[in-house]
Amino acid sequence: MAQQANQPLPNGHQLEEYTIDRQLSLGGFSIVYLATAPEGRQVAIKEYLPNSLALRSRGEINPVITAEHLGAFRYGMKCFFEEGRALARLSHPNVIRVLNFFRANDTVYMVMEYEHGRTLQEFIQKHQGHISERFIRGVFTRMLNGLREVHSNKLLHLDLKPSNIYLRGDNTPVLIDFGAARQTLITDQPILKPMYTPGFASPEHYGTRKDLGPWSDIYSVGASMYACLAGVAPQAADSRMKKDTLAPAMVRWDGQYSDRLLEIIDWCLNLNHLYRPQSVFALQKALVEAITPPRPKTNPNWLGRFVDKFRNPLR
Amino acid sequence: MRFTIYQESRVGGRANNEDRTTYCYSRDALLMVVADGMGGHHYGEIAAQIAVQTLADAFQREARPLLADPFRFLLKGMTNAHHAILDYTARHKLSDTPRTTCVACVVQDNVAYWAHAGDSRLFLMRDGRVMAQTKDHSRIRLLIEEGMITETQAAFHPDRNKIYSCLGSPTPPEIEFSRKTPLDHGDILLLCTDGLWGEISGDMMAVALKGTNLLQTIPMVLNQADAKGGPHRDNLSVVAVRWEDAYVEEASSSISTQTMTQDEVTTRLEEFGRNPAYKSELSESEIEDAIEEIRNAIDKYNPKK
Repeated sequence: MAQQANQPLPNGHQLEEYTIDRQLSLGGFSIVYLATAPEGRQVAIKEYLPNSLALRSRGEINPVITAEHLGAFRYGMKCFFEEGRALARLSHPNVIRVLNFFRANDTVYMVMEYEHGRTLQEFIQKHQGHISERFIRGVFTRMLNGLREVHSNKLLHLDLKPSNIYLRGDNTPVLIDFGAARQTLITDQPILKPMYTPGFASPEHYGTRKDLGPWSDIYSVGASMYACLAGVAPQAADSRMKKDTLAPAMVRWDGQYSDRLLEIIDWCLNLNHLYRPQSVFALQKALVEAITPPRPKTNPNWLGRFVDKFRNPLR
Repeated sequence: MRFTIYQESRVGGRANNEDRTTYCYSRDALLMVVADGMGGHHYGEIAAQIAVQTLADAFQREARPLLADPFRFLLKGMTNAHHAILDYTARHKLSDTPRTTCVACVVQDNVAYWAHAGDSRLFLMRDGRVMAQTKDHSRIRLLIEEGMITETQAAFHPDRNKIYSCLGSPTPPEIEFSRKTPLDHGDILLLCTDGLWGEISGDMMAVALKGTNLLQTIPMVLNQADAKGGPHRDNLSVVAVRWEDAYVEEASSSISTQTMTQDEVTTRLEEFGRNPAYKSELSESEIEDAIEEIRNAIDKYNPKK
């Protein structure tokens, strides 16, 4: 079946108290607009509009939802509510803030904060392969603060990738797009396929998805860090499961970044979820710990040095 | 605050249940509402739902943790519900407005405040006796007060269900308020629809409930009313609370609100529709509820600066 693309609401359209400025992005599940709130500040508005179930033709406002799709449409709406519910409860500087939620045009809308900036994806494309370790550690450590908050609310992001990590003007990372954060709900409804992005989705994302856990988001974090170094997404997990051709970070960038960082990336990208960091906290701890290379102790006084010589005659 | 509370609504012999009940409490205040949607009119259950919902929502907003003025709260809540029903009628272009009775009670600082419109009743029971009760806004009550008929005659009078005040009618409701009533340890406040008090008198209930655990005895009273009523018996609904002194340790099922935070409100409100568990897809009201819930969460966790 050919899938028609949904038409966005026209620019300048008045949606409740917000004025639509332009479309920001179009996904299979929703459309995101840039809009202006009455007090003059800019906001991002996400419109629930799955293009397989609801169709808005050119020049129309209300989408057409056929009777046969109404059930699935409503079901998907439930998922959209899950996202809203999840985000509304999170109040964290590294997680996008929801400002409002309302119903209009036979569908539902979520209003979120909007700030000037760019996604990590755009940043990677601009700085192909020239991203400093300092930047990576800084961005990911703070981003993990947000992810920790997500996990502590018994929620998984499940679609972490550079294009879902937004960098504010001062490079503070913000987690956006929790469209996949609806864990168990999705599996029993075949019309709404689980969402994941090849390269960033963990092996558990594929198949029965019963092993999904914090470690799955951590795989995606590892893949995102890998992408920062490589400039492109790593090999997709499902094809790695068949034949793993992904060069370990330790081998590929030996000497260019600290061993510890490369080690952490490979740790996160382990195909076996049990061998990855099991919690964001564990990963964060590894990222921030000071690097102290082991150093042999030397005895300061002459007698000690003399004794050492006898103890380790080879040195 | 310490109290034991119980609510139940039964369909009786009717096709659907047009009664609604709810209770909510914050750390220092308690609200109970019973509404009986009018069977003679269309959408009686919608009117009842709007009434309890409006009051419950207002309570969640305003009980922080005390209500500034309980009587004003009741007046405002019931008036708003009345207008919300009229708005609903206009929006859906209904030929006749849905109507509902409403009795609501607030308890805070060990003082009870209540208000009602229509023939759903509140009883205050102490030591097995009815200390106070609301006066129905019904023609039959007027006749009794004028001495035209006796209580016994009233029970079989053809006009016994006609009421002159309710929420949602074109004429504004007559809302009657209680006095400020201080509560003693062990006092029972019972709000119910005519389905219950029509079968079992307040005095009988007061005797039956004296010194018992409401969680066990209220269902028994309802069973009895269910059995007494005929095959066409009305819906019967009740919210009952037993007020307990904070110093007395008794029933394990009692609720203590001392550990609640100032802004926390707990609400027990049945979902709209029969049994939402059997429905796979979202109904209109579930969508509204979900949006309301999300908005509440936004307000709570991300207040506008």
